[in-house]
Amino acid sequence: MAGHNESILREPLITGENITYSQITEDILAPVENKPNKAWWIGFSVAVFFALVWVGAISYTFWVGLGVWGLNKTVGWAWDITGFVWWVGIGHAGTLISAVLLLFRQNWRNSINRSAEAMTIFAVICAATYIFAHMGRPWLAYWVFPLPNQFGSLWVNFNSPLVWDVFAISTYFSVSLVFWYTGLLPDIATIRDRATGLRRRIYSILSFGWAGSVKNWQRFEAVSLILAGVSTPLVLSVHTIVSFDFATSLEPGWHTTIFPPYFVAGAIFSGFAMVQTLLLIARKVMKWENYITMFHIESMNKIITVTGSIVGVAYLTELFIAWYSGVEYEQYAFLNRISGPYWWAYWSMMTCNVISPQLFWFKKIRTSIWASWLLSIVVNIGMWFERFVIIVTSLHRDYIPSSWVMFYPSLIDVLLFVGSIGVFFTLFLLFLRVLPGIAIAEVKLILKSSSDQVKQKLIADGKIKPEQAEAYQESLEKFDSVDYLKV
Amino acid sequence: MESNKKYWKGLEELQKTPEFVENNKGEFSESLPIEEVLNDAGLKTVTPRRDFLKALGFGVGAVTLAACQKAPVHKSIPYLIKPEEVTPGVANYYASSFNGVGVLVKTREGRPIKIEGNPACLLGEGRLDAVGQASILDLYDVSKLKGPKLKGENVGWQEVDSFVRGELNKIQAGGKKIRIVSSTINSPSGKAVIADFIAQYPNTRHIQYDAVSYSGIIQANQSSFGRAVIPHYHFERADVIVSFGADFLGSWISPLEFNRQYIRKRNIASLKNKKMSRHIQIESGMTTTGTNADVRIAVKPSEEALVLLNLYSALGGAAQTQKLSNPKAEKALTLVAKELTAARGRALVVSGSNDVNVQIVVNAINSLIGSYGTTIDINNPSYQYAGNDADFMTLLGEMQRGEVDGVFFVNANPAYTFGNQKEFSEALSKVRLKVSFSDRPDETAALCDVLAPVPNYLETWNDANPVAGYYTIVQPTINPVYNTRQAEQSLLIWSDNPVKNYYQYVKNNWERTILPSVGMSWKELLQKGVATTGGASIIANTGSTLQEGAGAAGTIAATSAPVASGARVGAVNIGAAAQNILKTSQALAQGAEKGAELSLYESVALRDGRYANNAWLQELPDPVSKVTWDNYVAINPKYAEKLGIVEFDNVIVKAGDKSIELPALYQPGQAQGTVSIALGYGRSKVGKAGDEVGKNAYPFITYTNGTFHRVASVTIEKGNGRYELAQTQTHHSFEGRNVVRETTFNQYANDPYSGTGKHEMEHKTYDLWPEHKQVGHSWVMAIDLNACTGCGACVVACNVENNIPVVGRDEVRRRREMTWLRIDRYYSIQDGKNSVTEENELKHLDNNDFEDVTVVNQPMLCQHCDHAPCETVCPVIATMHSTDGLNHMAYNRCVGTRYCANNCPYKVRRFNWFNYWNDSRFDNYMNNEFTQLVLNPDVTTRFRGVMEKCTMCIQRIQAGRLQAKIEKRPLRDLEIQTACQQTCPGNAIIFGDRNDPNSAVRKALDNERTYYVLQELNTQPGIGYQTLVRNTVEEA
Repeated sequence: MAGHNESILREPLITGENITYSQITEDILAPVENKPNKAWWIGFSVAVFFALVWVGAISYTFWVGLGVWGLNKTVGWAWDITGFVWWVGIGHAGTLISAVLLLFRQNWRNSINRSAEAMTIFAVICAATYIFAHMGRPWLAYWVFPLPNQFGSLWVNFNSPLVWDVFAISTYFSVSLVFWYTGLLPDIATIRDRATGLRRRIYSILSFGWAGSVKNWQRFEAVSLILAGVSTPLVLSVHTIVSFDFATSLEPGWHTTIFPPYFVAGAIFSGFAMVQTLLLIARKVMKWENYITMFHIESMNKIITVTGSIVGVAYLTELFIAWYSGVEYEQYAFLNRISGPYWWAYWSMMTCNVISPQLFWFKKIRTSIWASWLLSIVVNIGMWFERFVIIVTSLHRDYIPSSWVMFYPSLIDVLLFVGSIGVFFTLFLLFLRVLPGIAIAEVKLILKSSSDQVKQKLIADGKIKPEQAEAYQESLEKFDSVDYLKV
Repeated sequence: MESNKKYWKGLEELQKTPEFVENNKGEFSESLPIEEVLNDAGLKTVTPRRDFLKALGFGVGAVTLAACQKAPVHKSIPYLIKPEEVTPGVANYYASSFNGVGVLVKTREGRPIKIEGNPACLLGEGRLDAVGQASILDLYDVSKLKGPKLKGENVGWQEVDSFVRGELNKIQAGGKKIRIVSSTINSPSGKAVIADFIAQYPNTRHIQYDAVSYSGIIQANQSSFGRAVIPHYHFERADVIVSFGADFLGSWISPLEFNRQYIRKRNIASLKNKKMSRHIQIESGMTTTGTNADVRIAVKPSEEALVLLNLYSALGGAAQTQKLSNPKAEKALTLVAKELTAARGRALVVSGSNDVNVQIVVNAINSLIGSYGTTIDINNPSYQYAGNDADFMTLLGEMQRGEVDGVFFVNANPAYTFGNQKEFSEALSKVRLKVSFSDRPDETAALCDVLAPVPNYLETWNDANPVAGYYTIVQPTINPVYNTRQAEQSLLIWSDNPVKNYYQYVKNNWERTILPSVGMSWKELLQKGVATTGGASIIANTGSTLQEGAGAAGTIAATSAPVASGARVGAVNIGAAAQNILKTSQALAQGAEKGAELSLYESVALRDGRYANNAWLQELPDPVSKVTWDNYVAINPKYAEKLGIVEFDNVIVKAGDKSIELPALYQPGQAQGTVSIALGYGRSKVGKAGDEVGKNAYPFITYTNGTFHRVASVTIEKGNGRYELAQTQTHHSFEGRNVVRETTFNQYANDPYSGTGKHEMEHKTYDLWPEHKQVGHSWVMAIDLNACTGCGACVVACNVENNIPVVGRDEVRRRREMTWLRIDRYYSIQDGKNSVTEENELKHLDNNDFEDVTVVNQPMLCQHCDHAPCETVCPVIATMHSTDGLNHMAYNRCVGTRYCANNCPYKVRRFNWFNYWNDSRFDNYMNNEFTQLVLNPDVTTRFRGVMEKCTMCIQRIQAGRLQAKIEKRPLRDLEIQTACQQTCPGNAIIFGDRNDPNSAVRKALDNERTYYVLQELNTQPGIGYQTLVRNTVEEA
């Protein structure tokens, strides 16, 4: 077999001068092995402050009762379930990136999957806190599990979408956790090998005795593939089942068959937006520009555009079906969304989710760091509004007009939500300090250390067509680490 | 001897080893180390530091942990000797009466917990209104006085007695006047006690003063017929009812009785016979009665009397009149005249005015149309109100002149209810002896020296004579909880009556006067609770004629039997009255030229303000506005727009030097240029719940022509800021949805199915869930929208029966009221011939004056769907279906996800946002052990975080089934009644077994008018509604 030469047209996934395997380890472990920098401290302080706000808000809720929220007799869910669905949705990108892209051999995922998976886990944790918090008697939360019991062997209601939700979320959380941790094993072993003292002992335990042997690697690969296979259906199932909470109900505006695909698309949409939000900052603060390149940013922006458009189609379909169905309650529900007292929420959702991602059709915008980051925030806001619109504007005016009400959030509602973001960032920032934010072992797989040298030599020897050579040089420039100040 | 056999304990004993012998010497076989411990060294051991710290740590920790748990001690004291009649867990019922309405008091283990109507009562026939239902809470009111007070000091009754007697003797000697000021007393024994007191102190006069008085009617009857009484009205005999501002279904004279009478010509039985009365209401503000009217015309108070005058002349009477400027009033006149002419002898005109002249004209009209002897019985009058406004004004003058030295207040609170409070308190300060018989330190009591608190009616002996020939007894069901004494008892003692015990006095009085004529013994009377001397003609409707089937015959018989009248009423001369009316109307209209005409009304819940401390009544939504915990300025939205006032803006209403600031409320149906304000609010000294709730509107009452007028001309200004009223319903139109279905009487007569939607194509339904088989009983309910007047009695009854928490104004504002049963009220605005029901369309009604409004009242509660959307979504099976058709709620299993409430299309589920029973924020209700005694022990209270809803009174179902089982018989129809059904004056609610083909509920549900709310969702509700039928006037 002739020597394998990489196509000169393939763009490099890792950029930068003199990138070596050792350099990768150094770069990625820098935040783990060194004292945190000022940026991290500032971020962490803010995050912990809001996490404490969350602790205060949730303690107050548990102590006094759910009455401290803004809910009422008609609107039984509002910011709580909005927050829950929002967080679960955000958690979607992680699994999609790690499992689906792995199966499709999308190697560019290797730079972002670790952080995305971590984000998934923390987002699901935040979502889970809402499940507990929204219960009237959270101390009895274990009753939603089909546990053997002494209440006359009382079982859960398998007809209830909430029970399906419990299974879906817990499965998703455990599989994601296992997948994430499995991927971490070689990297933890790397940290262990470089650490001394107590750190070494801790990482030694955490590494499960990873020795880096061929057998280790072979099993690692096998397990990764199996887990990817297991997780892939979960990407679809989790938000499908979350959407069943609404779709199987009787509420006009909820009772819709379009919900499962619409929710899944929305979840991926918001998940990628959150990955963007986090990584655009992380790559700068952690100096990972060589690993998370403009290629990644642009790819993710494309996914955001696609999923955003799917969501937009879903919104329009809903409107059409509401009109076409001829059901007056359904028609009113959607008319009320558009023009009722919460019209501003609906139009915020429409603007943020449908119109703003269309800006990514412009290459200039989708390759702009600032624009990408701003739009990722806009999408996150839009997706929050989507859940708010679905939940609150459906509930607040349903069948019997005498019970129509307005929902106004209480201070605790707001603090709890802001606090949950604090909890999320606290966890994420801690994660960046103790575990590698980029999968070292996996990134090393895609480093073509010699290919650039070979290609440059081929060009120098004039064996490449000039236009191809030019394209290659251009691509290097384009995908090289981007200097923020110049952009 | 063999019995002296010696057993040995071991081989050692048998062999008597030396060790055994040695060890067996002492008490213990091994020596105890007592010496070692108690020796010097042992006693002087120094505790090592570490041991000390350990002990300290453990000790402090253990004490702290033990102290963490607050363990309240609830003493339950068992009966040492069980009273024969009390069985724990089994309720006893005692006959008593409340405001003259016979009631049965349910007591459990010696404490009264619920009031229900006494079926033997002629006024209520076992039904009770909201006020009566809620009255039980007043017994457990902690704001009441706990004992007598003398000049601010807590004293014993002996001190009070000696002081008052001493004072009375001095006043007697000084020749000054003594006055007993009371609200209407129709108790024969009470009146006798006062008569005895007057005999002892001849300078005494008894003055009856009603805050909301009917002096106008009484004096008009004096003028027209020479009888100073309120006649007894018979709405059930009227085919045409015309009411000029009389809220006879809400608060006017005897609303409970009138509700029952009114419905009799409008319920299922009547409609089946193709009979329905036509009710025309002409009023300025929207009243409960107005919401039920077939035709309602909004006119200003000043026009009301003019319409009456014109009506009189249109009917053929001769009177000076003035042309009406209002085309609507003109229209009203033509319509009413036509209707009344057509229904001579079957019609009734009433007016809510307290103006003598207006009532004289009403009398004259009723004479013309032949109402006397048919729909009005003046020979057997009503004694429910006898207050005389002029007497009170005379008293005021006497007090101001210092002629009165002793005044006793019985159930009257003029310091609050009299318009000019300053004038009254100054006059009162000149009185030497001021005695208050109030149960609480109220506004008048605050000005009195002697506070002689009276017990609640559930702790007293008394009687009542609400209507001529009809008597009820009040008997106590519990010993006085506080150190209180009945007013009558005090008066007996202070007047040195030979009979000092009021019980004995009542008994003697009855045995002397009433009992012989009815042929009952005292004991029989106590059992039955009521006695009738006047024969069946007094109140035509006896027996349970409300029930369908049997009811039809009874109703018609009653209708066609006119009262055998002694004095036939002839023509009434109204010349002078007409003059006065023209003058008063003109003055009112002129005064309001730059402002508005104000009409004051009694609220359905608080009435004249005496029930202001009753949390159940404060939270009972007003039947029309659905506002709780406040009064407000009701104003037409268009008129408000003209004045630049937006709903909930604070508005200053001013008349002369009197002004109050209250939030404005948009009231469709309110006449242009008028505002209405409820009386009974703004109490300053009534108790925890009622203090400073709303504003006092009594100051606007004026004394004109010998009576207190409840209308005034006022100016209206925008005040400072806004004030959000706590409404249980904030969306007022039904958006054209078929949750409410109605028809007109004409259409109904042609097609009984009209308006039910039954003719529409029925499509086949498919079920995802297995069918619930209900082989035994199948509990369902029927609600007749045409028999519901929206009075709210069912709501309170449900609260009392099911321990439903009161949440207070702030929580109602957050839309968290807990009522399991609510009455939805929808407006639709008449725009030409269109009926506008959608809120969005209202904005386009630029030329509409929002005066022509039709209203629907719809009781809404858990529908107990056979395919309940709540049941499928609960994750923990806390709500499930029973085999007898009920939707159960297992509180203990509920984890509080609220999914069931979200998925309930009827929105009838209620969540416990807080621990209402034990949370200091709900202090105005039940946050004390005494008030908690009112709780129904058969129904658990719910912890926070738990969902609750209507159970169809499952505790009553269970009790009924057990009773039938004990008696080894099948359940009888209507044996089990839910609390709402039991109290409904119109019998609009029927509960029963669908599987029983002869049950009342089955018959009602088989009625052509039946429909199910949201039946297209295939929830298969267990509650069927009967369409609303309006007897509208078809325009030619």
